[in-house]
Order: sequence, then C-alpha cells, then structure tokens
Amino acid sequence: MWYLIVSSLGFGVVLASIIAVAAMGFTVQLGLTNVLNLSYGAVMTVGAFVAYLAASWKINAWVALLLGGVAGAMLTVFLGNFVFKVYARRGARLFEMVMVTLGLALVIEYAVQAVSRDNIYQFAVLPSASLSWGPIFITVTQLILIGLAIVVFLLLEGLLKLTKLGKALRAMAVDPSLARSCGIRTTQIVTITWLITGFLCGMAGVIYVINSQSVNYYTGQLFLPLVIAAAILGGVGSPRGAVVASLLMGITTEVVSALGGSAYSTVAGFGILVVVLLSKPSSVTGGASGNVQLTV
Amino acid sequence: MSAWSFYIATLVVYFGVDLLSGWSLNLQYGYAGVINFAYIVFQAAGAYVAATVTLGPSGGSTTFQQYVFGANLPFPIPLILAAVAGAALSAVVGLFSLRRIRRDYQAAILLIVSLIAIQVVESDVALFNGSNGVTGVPRPLFSAFGLSISSWEWVYAAWVLIICGAVYALVQWLGNSSWGRALRAMRDQEDAAAAMGFNITALRLQVFIIGGAIAGLSGGLLVEYIGAWSPGAWGYAETFVIFTAIFVGGVGNNRGVVIGVLLVPIIFLEIPRFLPQIGYPGLIFSLQWIAIGIMWMLCLLLRPRGIMPERRPIALRGHDRMTTPVSTQK
Repeated sequence: MWYLIVSSLGFGVVLASIIAVAAMGFTVQLGLTNVLNLSYGAVMTVGAFVAYLAASWKINAWVALLLGGVAGAMLTVFLGNFVFKVYARRGARLFEMVMVTLGLALVIEYAVQAVSRDNIYQFAVLPSASLSWGPIFITVTQLILIGLAIVVFLLLEGLLKLTKLGKALRAMAVDPSLARSCGIRTTQIVTITWLITGFLCGMAGVIYVINSQSVNYYTGQLFLPLVIAAAILGGVGSPRGAVVASLLMGITTEVVSALGGSAYSTVAGFGILVVVLLSKPSSVTGGASGNVQLTV
Repeated sequence: MSAWSFYIATLVVYFGVDLLSGWSLNLQYGYAGVINFAYIVFQAAGAYVAATVTLGPSGGSTTFQQYVFGANLPFPIPLILAAVAGAALSAVVGLFSLRRIRRDYQAAILLIVSLIAIQVVESDVALFNGSNGVTGVPRPLFSAFGLSISSWEWVYAAWVLIICGAVYALVQWLGNSSWGRALRAMRDQEDAAAAMGFNITALRLQVFIIGGAIAGLSGGLLVEYIGAWSPGAWGYAETFVIFTAIFVGGVGNNRGVVIGVLLVPIIFLEIPRFLPQIGYPGLIFSLQWIAIGIMWMLCLLLRPRGIMPERRPIALRGHDRMTTPVSTQK
C-alpha cells in the first residue's frame, strides 16, 4: 500500500503542476478584477485547440505552447474589454458577472464544438520516454511540465514582487480606487491583467492536453472545478497559495485514485475545498454582504 | 397521425416538467437570490430514484444494468421518493454550499457540484449504470387502466399538468406568505434582513430544500414518461436552459416563468427539428447551444428582469430611484 501511495505521489505532482499553471492565472485574475470567470475553462480549450492546429502544421512544440498562450491572452483581453466591461458599466455586480461568464463559457464551448465537429483529437507533441526512480514512474514530458510550472511560478512571483508593474497590480488588488488616486493607470493595469492571466490560461490548456494527449470541446470545462477549487483554497490573489493548494489537491486526487476510488478521486480533491469552506476562512467570506466591487 | 399525437403529448409532458423546474428555480433565484447552478443534479437524483424503485431489484430481470435501491414499488410512491431524494440531496449540498460566503463563490461551487456529480455517476457504474444510464422504466398504471399507448400518453400529460397546477398554487402561496416576504427581504438587503432577526442561512437552506423537492419530483415525472435516464440528460448546460427561461420570462414572477418556459425550452429548442439540415450532423445542435448562451447574455444586458418583471410592492412604487433595492439598481 505504501508503494502505491509513493508511486501515486509522482502522478500527484504532475497533476498539481498542471492545475497550478491554470490556478495561478485564475487566482491573479480573480484577485485583481473580482470577476469569477467561469469561461476560463472554455478559453483553456481554445488555447489547446490552437496548439493542436499549430502542431498539426508541424510547428515546434514550444512555439505551439506559446501560440496557445497568445490565443488565450488575445481572447481574454477581448472578453475583458468588450464583454465584461460592458456589463460592469451597466451595473452588473459580482454574481451577475458570474452568470455572464457562464453564458460566455457556453458560447465559446459550443462554438469550439461546432468548429471541431465534436471530435476528439489526438495530441502527442513532446517525447515521452519513461523514467523510473524507485516506485515513481514519470515520463520526460511530465518532467518538462513540472519544470514549466516552476518557471511560470518564479516568473509570476518575480513580476508581482520585484517590478513596478507588479507593485501596481498588487496595489490594485487591495484597493482599486486608492490605487487610482495614487496615479496608477487602472484601465491599463486591468488590460495587462487580462493579458497575463489569459496567457497563463491558454498555456495551461496546452499543458493539460500535452499530458492527457487528447483534446475535445469539453476538455477545459471539465478541468475547471479543480482550478477554481485550488484558487479559492489557496487564497484568492496569491500565486503562492495557488501552488500549495494545487499540490494538496493533485496529490490527494492521485492518492485516492491509487487506493481504488478512481471514481471519487476528483471528489476527494474537492472535499478539501469543502472542509475549507466549512471552516470559514476570511478569504471566502469577504464581501458576503457586497462590499467587494468589480474592477473591470 | 399517431406520431404527431405522441410528439404533442411528449411536448406537453416536457412543458410541464420544465414549468416545475422553472418555478423551483424561480423560488430559489427569483425570490431568494440563491443561484442554484446545480439544479439539474437534483432533478437527476429524483429521476434516478424514481427509475430504480420502479425497475425492480438490480440484477433480476434486467441483468444488463446495475443500480442501487432496486425495488418494485407501486405508482405514486416512486414520485414521492423522487421528491424526497431531491430534498435530501439538496439538504446535503446546501449544508456546505449555502453558508454566508460571497455569492459568486457560492454559484461557482454549485456549478462545481454539478460537474463533479456527473463525473461520479459516469465513472461509478455500480451507482446508476454509468454513462449508459438506466432504461426500461415501466409506464405507471399502464396495465391498470387498460389504455392504448397513445391515450395513455395523453392521460399522463394531463396528470403532469395537474401536478403543475398544484405546484403553482404551492409556489404562489409560499411566495406571498410571510416566509416569501422574508426571502425577498433577504435577497434585496441581506444585512437588513439579518438585523430584523431572520436566520439567513436557515432561510436559504429551506428554500433550497423545497426547490430540491420540486426538482426531484419533476425528474421523477419525466423519467416515468420517457422510461430512461442517463448522464446525457443532465449536463450542466441544462440548468442553464431553465435559467434562460426565467430570465426571458420574468425573474420573481411565476406567470412570467410560464411564458419563458414556453419560449425557450419548448419553442426555441424544438424549432431546429423542423429546419433542414445544414452542415454536418450535429452542427445545428451546437448552434442551438450557442444561441441559448447569446440569448442569456442579451437578456442579462437588455432586460434583466424579464418580459413580465416581478410586481413591485406598493410601498416601493413612486419613489423608485431612492429606495429601489440593490438587486434592481442599474
């Protein structure tokens, strides 16, 4: 049994690094704009499909990864400036915005279904020789994915903590109107947020399908629960928290799956979120009575 | 002719079931402001329970499918159990999701519940026969009346409409009672309602459970008519159709919901059947969902209170701008 648990740790870390990239984008987006974006998963799918198209035209895998990210960034900036902003100007508040994003998720998801003809596409781009280290089996691809997640995390933390832009982003997340009166160009910062988080989102979609090796119109939306749970669990707005939460959820999911409850593995990951909700941390109770404003 | 008769009777049953769904969601969202994105899960719970307690013990005459709670109960009991199942599942889900957390988080968590529930039912085949679903549910009272199939369909449709009438009376009565006023107070000014001494979490849980019971009942009614139920019937997007119907018809207005249900799930979703096929098979289906999504977003943008909006209480007429509750402010 211990053998099983240890070997599932490897898969857990792989799953965690996939969740982490998506959750870092999601948590920064949610923390800064307060839009709980349910169309995030659909945008991930779009990124994955762009990468699939790129790969089928024999474009280098790394370039395909970047292209997926760029597609996600462009789509998210478009949605932010032409959809979310319009609704926010007309007085939509937090939970109306959730409904708007869910509507968008439906539109994007089924647009992808219409274009992709509802097929499942094979997607195998990176080499996947298998390595073993004790009970842990891992492919080269998965090692690359873990490395990628670490690089993304370091870059994002560096951006947020070391640069002037990061300072502005953090200030906006705490208090947008104060940030504005201190001379931060809030509109610009919000667009930059859409850009960065959209890039992470698209890339996360590509990373997800690199690991799962298949993509269909439903891919991203199926993955979204884990991403949202990790973002809320880790404390909204904190990439570091998102990474820790991703590790917790990824490892729990895989361990439960290895111990024979594969049907309930996702439920177990989700169970952690439930426990956190029951214990009522300040991160989720804030604004129950509406003192959190949209910043779009 | 008989094909048309079957088609129309089926539409009537679907209309009735969607009406129940619409009223249930309207009670939760329109009156109490609870965004139940997991609605379809409670309907599915009712449908599965009604199906399995009618089908007989698992592994008996129907060896090709497996499920829990196999039993052979006579006609009205499966429907009651379906409502109980919907209510019980709502109580469990409500207990952890309806606490005082940000409402957008609440909505997201309920959506997660919806996505996860379907994953569990699909991958744990022992529960409700996985993604193939349960099938072969016998028609209730078919042999007792000695009717032909086509007249049984009409009898059943009438029965569904009778239940609709009863549920309409129930939701109207609930909505106009002092409990209903407390719900609306909670929706509009949660802190003020709490200060008046209403237990917000308990009110939410109550409306969630009552809505869940209606949802379970609607699922039971549907499955006894169509005879089968599988995960394909309860994707998260189905909740969305009912929500769109409420937004089109009128948030907080049960008669508006009737219009919405007639327009969205019935007329709008049935029109593509009569269109000539374009593109590859399945394209119309995708376009239909895209159109539902766009319709939903347009409703939110242009007419967030629906065709027949909720009637404002007399106390609020006249000086709207100053005292309009937060939820209707532009």
